[in-house]
Amino acid sequence: MKRTTVFLNIFLNVFLSSLLVLLLHSCGDAPSQQGQVLKINGSTTVNLAVAEAAEVMRQQTGKTIHVDTQGGSSGGISMLGEGLVHLGMSSKPLTQKDREAFPQCDFHQIHIGDDAVALIVSKDIWQAGVRSITKREMQAIYEGRIKNWQKLGGPDQRIAFFNKEPGRGTWEVFAKWLYGSIDAVPQVSFPEVGGNEETRNKVASTRGALSQLSSSWADSKTVFPLSIENDAGEIIRASAENIASYRYPMSRPLYLLSDGEPQGDVKEFVSFMFSDKGQNLVRKHGYLALADLSK
Amino acid sequence: MKTRYSPRSYIELWSWLFAALTLFVLLAGAVLLLKDSVLVWKHEGTEILTGKEWFYRSETFGAAAMIYGTLIVAVLALLIAAPLGIGAAICTVEYLPARWRMVIKTMIEMLAGIPSVVYGLLGILILRNWIYQLFEDFEILSGDTLLTAGILLGVMILPTVMTLADDALSGVARAQRIAARGLGLNATDTIFSVSLPQALPGLIAALLLALGRAMGETIAVFLVIGRQDNQWPGELFSLRPLVESGQTLSSKLGGAEINIAYGQPLHWSAMVGLSFLLLLLVVGLTLLGLWIREHSKHTSYDK
Repeated sequence: MKRTTVFLNIFLNVFLSSLLVLLLHSCGDAPSQQGQVLKINGSTTVNLAVAEAAEVMRQQTGKTIHVDTQGGSSGGISMLGEGLVHLGMSSKPLTQKDREAFPQCDFHQIHIGDDAVALIVSKDIWQAGVRSITKREMQAIYEGRIKNWQKLGGPDQRIAFFNKEPGRGTWEVFAKWLYGSIDAVPQVSFPEVGGNEETRNKVASTRGALSQLSSSWADSKTVFPLSIENDAGEIIRASAENIASYRYPMSRPLYLLSDGEPQGDVKEFVSFMFSDKGQNLVRKHGYLALADLSK
Repeated sequence: MKTRYSPRSYIELWSWLFAALTLFVLLAGAVLLLKDSVLVWKHEGTEILTGKEWFYRSETFGAAAMIYGTLIVAVLALLIAAPLGIGAAICTVEYLPARWRMVIKTMIEMLAGIPSVVYGLLGILILRNWIYQLFEDFEILSGDTLLTAGILLGVMILPTVMTLADDALSGVARAQRIAARGLGLNATDTIFSVSLPQALPGLIAALLLALGRAMGETIAVFLVIGRQDNQWPGELFSLRPLVESGQTLSSKLGGAEINIAYGQPLHWSAMVGLSFLLLLLVVGLTLLGLWIREHSKHTSYDK
């Protein structure tokens, strides 16, 4: 009996001390840049192509690659800025503000393709014949001056506008188109949606719904992209040609972000995204590959 | 066994050390949150509690609507979980044989182990649409409402309420029940005039602990509440706000705004201030619940 207690005592001491040492030790160790795991985080839009590329690379090289979408584009920027990930994904260009917020990070933007933001509506609105929208109408909806689809030639149905969370790449592209700059956007409070899946699901399941969504996610089965009617009265569809030629107004570049010139695993991954295989993955998800863009 | 380096004292030493570590982490967390949010307390004063507007670009940080959302959603959850949970506990303690009681209790406790994102997705898939159709006549804008979040949370805290209520009821001395029956009370009378009054402090504690859990829950609420800022109700006693979108402290903190706030001292401190408020609410309720629970143990074992 006594012997077992002593044994237990020794065991507990060894176990607990080693636990403590382990704890203290792991605190001091920052994740190294050349670690075993390549960590990527950011935009859910860029994620589609990048996650699949990561899958292919995992199979080819046996490397461990973690791709995550916490916080969308601004999450990608801040986590790279903090040194928590090796690559950020962003569906909006970096601003001076972003660079100032993380002076310790030497941001490099790596352009891997293009995408557009579509204004999507639910099936009932599309079937009632609402097919396009003007900038002025969208502004009125955003400012709460238009609340019913009748004003846009639709049915007598309240407009259920789901605003993309500010900070998301999609929202920023939308905001710049609508008001010229993000600072000029009036402050409003609408129900907010985050990732692309959530947006599509909520718009599809709500009558009279309207939201902003990456055009590659607008499948025309559950949610439908509206065309944009410009000041000259031309109706511009969010088609591949119009996006590539930047005739469609809410086109946007998709980026990978690195801290400094890409090196090692990061460089390998970036080169893969530039290869034919990588670029085909960009196309596969409905985005425009670099070769499709008219410069 | 009073020697200085007996095995017992080693183990005791370690357990004290780890208990102290836990306390230290909690206090350090609270102090850190307070320190990082000093800017916003200075900027807003008590306006952060009473201000009904939150517009970060014009640096207006009033959390009243979020505190309102947090409280309403948690209270709704409790209204659903309390009768069901306490009812289930009465059934397991008073009516089921001991063997079955453990089977049912274990199964209900397992519900508490389901990750909250799973509940959230079930909420999106089922509850949202159900609420949307149920309240169609009221022309609600979408299925993302305070009510949806409340019901979902109610289901999530049900295991907590049930298992703690079960503990409280089974702590009532058996002799008291036998005495009650001996005096000619039937089973129902015994429950209402002996078991429930005796277990009352424990039941209140169960509800408070569950309320604390409901307030801290993030991801499931995040997915079904709509995350609409500044939804301070026009009339406080109207039921209408319940079927509109809203925001809670935790759903705000779970969103993308925290990324915008980063690098902008005042906005960041406002977000940290929200976490401090949330911590206060949850820790306060939990401590109160635990205190009542401890207190109740002493009374019910004093035969």
